[in-house]
Amino acid sequence: MFSPSSLVSRRRGEGHAPLLLAAALVMAVPGFLVTACGSQPGTGAARSEPTQTTPTTATAGGLVADAGQAPATGRRLSSSARALRLLSQAAQAAISMSYQGQEVVTRWSNGSGSVLVSDIWHVSGGQTVTQTLAAGNSLSSQPYLSSDDDSQAPEGVLGVTVPLIGLLENHYTVVYSGTGSADSRTAQVVEARRDDGSLAARFWLDDATSLPLEREVFDSASHVISQDVFIQVRFSSQAHPAVPAAPARGPSDPPGPWADPLSHTQLLALPAQGWLVPAGLPGGLSLFTGARTTTSTGTVLDLGYSDGLSVVSVFEQRGHLAAKLDGWQRTTVNGQVIYVAEPDQRSLTWSSRGMVYTVMADAPVQTVDAVIGVLPHDKPPGFWKRMSRGFVRLASWVNPFG
Amino acid sequence: MSHLGDRLSALVDGELDGAERDRAHAHLASCEQCRTEAAELRILKQKLSTLMTGAPAEAAMTKRLIAMTGPGGPMPSRRGATRVSRRPGTRGLRGARSAGRRRYLMLGTVSLVVGLGAAAFSAGGGGEAAPGPRITPPVEIYSVEHAITTGQVPFAPPEISPASASATSLP
Repeated sequence: MFSPSSLVSRRRGEGHAPLLLAAALVMAVPGFLVTACGSQPGTGAARSEPTQTTPTTATAGGLVADAGQAPATGRRLSSSARALRLLSQAAQAAISMSYQGQEVVTRWSNGSGSVLVSDIWHVSGGQTVTQTLAAGNSLSSQPYLSSDDDSQAPEGVLGVTVPLIGLLENHYTVVYSGTGSADSRTAQVVEARRDDGSLAARFWLDDATSLPLEREVFDSASHVISQDVFIQVRFSSQAHPAVPAAPARGPSDPPGPWADPLSHTQLLALPAQGWLVPAGLPGGLSLFTGARTTTSTGTVLDLGYSDGLSVVSVFEQRGHLAAKLDGWQRTTVNGQVIYVAEPDQRSLTWSSRGMVYTVMADAPVQTVDAVIGVLPHDKPPGFWKRMSRGFVRLASWVNPFG
Repeated sequence: MSHLGDRLSALVDGELDGAERDRAHAHLASCEQCRTEAAELRILKQKLSTLMTGAPAEAAMTKRLIAMTGPGGPMPSRRGATRVSRRPGTRGLRGARSAGRRRYLMLGTVSLVVGLGAAAFSAGGGGEAAPGPRITPPVEIYSVEHAITTGQVPFAPPEISPASASATSLP
């Protein structure tokens, strides 16, 4: 069927208290706080608004999508204990149950959409394997195979993990919306609403197992920006998951996997080591995880930010961008020159002050633009500085002893 | 028989007056040796005349070429120009040539400054030549970590080249 092309194994610890971590960073490293945190996200001149409108989904059973129709109360409503319990059970079920199925991930951005299909196998408390097709059919490209050894933060669970549930509770009002259906199964429906009452996300959780079956995420303009559906789900009681064998690591694989998540102490020590570690980013995104790995060009630090729905990973690596970036396209965001990876368009990179920043985001375009805006960028040199630098370079070119 | 001697060169130069010239011509008619010498002198004078008329033109051309090389080249001699301009009828021509040289000098200087400035501005662009590795972000590695963070499958599958991989575009 598929020929696995790569295997990436990594371990992740149990979800830690992200709010405590954020609070500790606020107290300990105020110099690294992003001052624009919590401000209104900016808009990028080179990027457009998503245009997909809120659908009335048939998979939601008797529910009718009403994103943005809730009255704006101006006061934060309290989350439903039942809703929080359902989400917590869903996160645990994603770890403790054995299941397999197919996940269809759809993203809308810049007025167009893209879809990705992945086969997922998970063994209770153990390994998770995702086998991804780039374009939703088996003929389009090579598959991707990953393996999560301890399954503490399994992939393919529609963003329902313990750390993200904690952040979701803090940033949104989580309410129970009744029952619906997804993948021809009865589901409990939970919604996340913003302070103004508008719908931010909707989850369909399997009534029998609590496993997440579907998730929709909306931007502040009530446009759906992502839809994840888990279909053809089979549980261990129906069929034991036949997890594909993991291929041996090749010489081209990364030298080492991403290490265990950094502890609070390790995160607090990063600024002293020259890393930029904002405690928060625009859009209400809080730092909740961090990890390190080593590549052929040095150590890479990953900082994970989220509000429970949107997730932004900021990768930092010391050095400078290569002069020629294959697969990257030069663009401008907020007046800053950056490079966007093709074809996913969700990865953005630039270098500043001896550090290469790469942002990967599952977030509204406005939020991503605002995040880019608050991270460091090199200012273009002034006229006289540029002339001076140019004369020095010209002199060095004609200097036979240079 | 007495030959013409110094009077031969004076004859060739046209410096003899009427009676003296007639006596010289009468001698040449009967003296083969003096005729030969007179012929040789005329040929020599013609050659020298040709050389002398070409040399000033070449010298002026050399000065103009040097002036066009821009700053650092020798300035044209103003003394010579003043002396020559005393001749009636040549003052306007020499003045025009001097103004032309100044224009060439000005144009050359401006061109040099503008060219150097443009080259420096162009060379001064880009980032600082700071030390450190040149990095192409490994999207495939980052994508895996991002998927762990989000609890979702990697949206950018690893090891799929940009040319061969693309997410399906929806209408």
